[in-house]
Amino acid sequence: MNFGKRTLGVLGVATAVLLATSACSGGLLGGGDSGDSDSGPIKIGMIVPTSGSSAPTGASMSNGAQMAVDEINAAGGILDGRMLELQIADGACDAQQAVASANKLVSSGVSISVGGYCSGATLPTLPIFDKAGVPMIIPAANSQDLVNEKLKSVFLINGTGLQQSAAALDFVKKQGYKAVALVDDNTSYSKDITTETEKQIKADGASTVVLNTSVNPGESDYSSVVRDINGSGADLVYWTGYYQEGGLIIDQLRKAGYTGDIMVADGSADPTLAEIAGAAAEGVYATMTPTPNTIDGAEGWIADYKKAFGDDPKPYSTQSYDAVRLAAAAFEAAGNTNTDDVIKALEGIKDFKAFSGPLSFTKDHTLASGGFVILVMKDADFQLFDNLQ
Amino acid sequence: MEQILTDMPQVIWDGLFVGSFYALIALGYSMVYGIIKLLNFAHGDIYMVGAFIGYALLTALGGSFQMMGLFSLIVVMMISMLLTGTIGVVVEKLAYRPLRGAPRLAVLITAVGASFSLEYGVAAIAGSKPRGFPVRLDGETLFMLGARVTVPQIILMLIAGVLMFALDRYIRGTSTGRAMRSISLDMKGSLLMGVNVNSVISRTFFIGSALAGAAGVMAGAYYGNISFLMGFIIGLKAFTAAVIGGIGNIRGAMLGGLVLGLVEAFGSEIVGGQWRDAFAFAVLILFLTLRPTGILGERVTERV
Repeated sequence: MNFGKRTLGVLGVATAVLLATSACSGGLLGGGDSGDSDSGPIKIGMIVPTSGSSAPTGASMSNGAQMAVDEINAAGGILDGRMLELQIADGACDAQQAVASANKLVSSGVSISVGGYCSGATLPTLPIFDKAGVPMIIPAANSQDLVNEKLKSVFLINGTGLQQSAAALDFVKKQGYKAVALVDDNTSYSKDITTETEKQIKADGASTVVLNTSVNPGESDYSSVVRDINGSGADLVYWTGYYQEGGLIIDQLRKAGYTGDIMVADGSADPTLAEIAGAAAEGVYATMTPTPNTIDGAEGWIADYKKAFGDDPKPYSTQSYDAVRLAAAAFEAAGNTNTDDVIKALEGIKDFKAFSGPLSFTKDHTLASGGFVILVMKDADFQLFDNLQ
Repeated sequence: MEQILTDMPQVIWDGLFVGSFYALIALGYSMVYGIIKLLNFAHGDIYMVGAFIGYALLTALGGSFQMMGLFSLIVVMMISMLLTGTIGVVVEKLAYRPLRGAPRLAVLITAVGASFSLEYGVAAIAGSKPRGFPVRLDGETLFMLGARVTVPQIILMLIAGVLMFALDRYIRGTSTGRAMRSISLDMKGSLLMGVNVNSVISRTFFIGSALAGAAGVMAGAYYGNISFLMGFIIGLKAFTAAVIGGIGNIRGAMLGGLVLGLVEAFGSEIVGGQWRDAFAFAVLILFLTLRPTGILGERVTERV
């Protein structure tokens, strides 16, 4: 026992020393410019989940980014021949892991960040990058919370929760649903959409929200939310969490005799949803930003992607590809990689040719046009249903 | 309130169904704790490994299993039980046996390490992507006393019941069972009386892990989704169930599983689904403070 106490004491001291040193290094790194030289490769950091249940999406994002980097380098790089170098770090959809990865990227001297998938894990990385003078182009994460941080260095190129809710409302009105049940998974991204959708449906008044509830992610049994939905008399269920739980809920809803329609938000708009929910996923709608297979004229790009990675591009492959291209364009426009110049260049971007359409930023650094469309699950894959134009 | 009353039969049925999974896994926790006073936190991950073995076997069988349906699923489940049982024995040999007699905290931390090794071992082999299970149990829906009950649910509960009944007979009616009970009372005494302690402990791990493996295959076939982290939450829940029933007590684990399932179902019906886990673990804390021996727990004073 005595020994145990002593070990604890030693551990305590060790922790204190560690904390002190890390605080020091934080102080050295923080506040300054990204501090890279004017020659040599330009490092681009990207935090995406490469482990955990969202790892497949992480891979399709890093592939998209890598493709853009390879294309730009093959064309001779930017800023008089400087090459781009992509550094991937794991965010694991976990706030702590993402913060550690952000610190790692900052200390390896990245000039810009093009990552961010799970909003909950992306949010705590914003101040780290911001303090270190690293501008961020966020390809997927889109919670309103990210916007509410009001950081000058943050740019979102995915539609935000607000824009997604507006698309959901459009669809509800178009289809004439009367009773909508909203279900989220208690994460900041997911709750954001249900809260905003409820607000907009209430303001609109043509339909009512009969249920707004949350579930715990990571479980297998969702019988209680299924009972709630069946008891609420909803004719549309809108699930705003990720596909793993979404697949289970859809399957269990259908098994419990739910006959209304089901719609999912962009976190669930992935073919894996059909793998999990099986036949129950057929006919499920999704609010989603345009994906490679729903964009006209993307066939050549899809073929290139397949050749390079042996896999179909998935949701957010295009956004990640665009994020890197946008970063390169900003560096070119700024003429250097200095934080303030790059931010100014990004703010000045006008009608940049992106997959989601011509891209410009609002003064909140979100997309000037949202570009959400409605997809439908058919033969185990999502297809364009309505472009809401 | 009215809603809650009309939902009541459904709530009870849903609770019992989930509870039978908890019970199957809680058994392994309780058996191991009863014998070597170890909280085997790797136990939930054995459940996950069972689901992945079932997935691998069914995928290897290809389309042929469809023709045999339930029968092939039971065969696959038995093979998975054998394999997960063996893995349980190996984990005990590698991770716990060298630490027998070490402080319990050290063994506990080793158990957490074993849990991570299993989780990320599977992630390394099978990938971290969640997978859809190749066989889906589909069947008729029946209405019983106002509850919606599906045939697969009945089948799975029957299988769980048979396994638990067999275990109960085994522990109470065979010489190995008697050896297990005697070791849990007094390990040194049993050793002196000629009980082969190591082999009995191995057997305990085998049985507990096999039951968890069976639960894993059943969960895969019923819910249709498996991932390498699927054992984490359910492992904690099974631990809770074991504590509620009285950790170390076999019948208590079964009872605790069902009670926890019902408590969760009622809790989430009344205060909302997102509070389900909070409810389950609040019950755990309540039991730990008010009645640490659980519902059927044996008196602790027996150990001097």
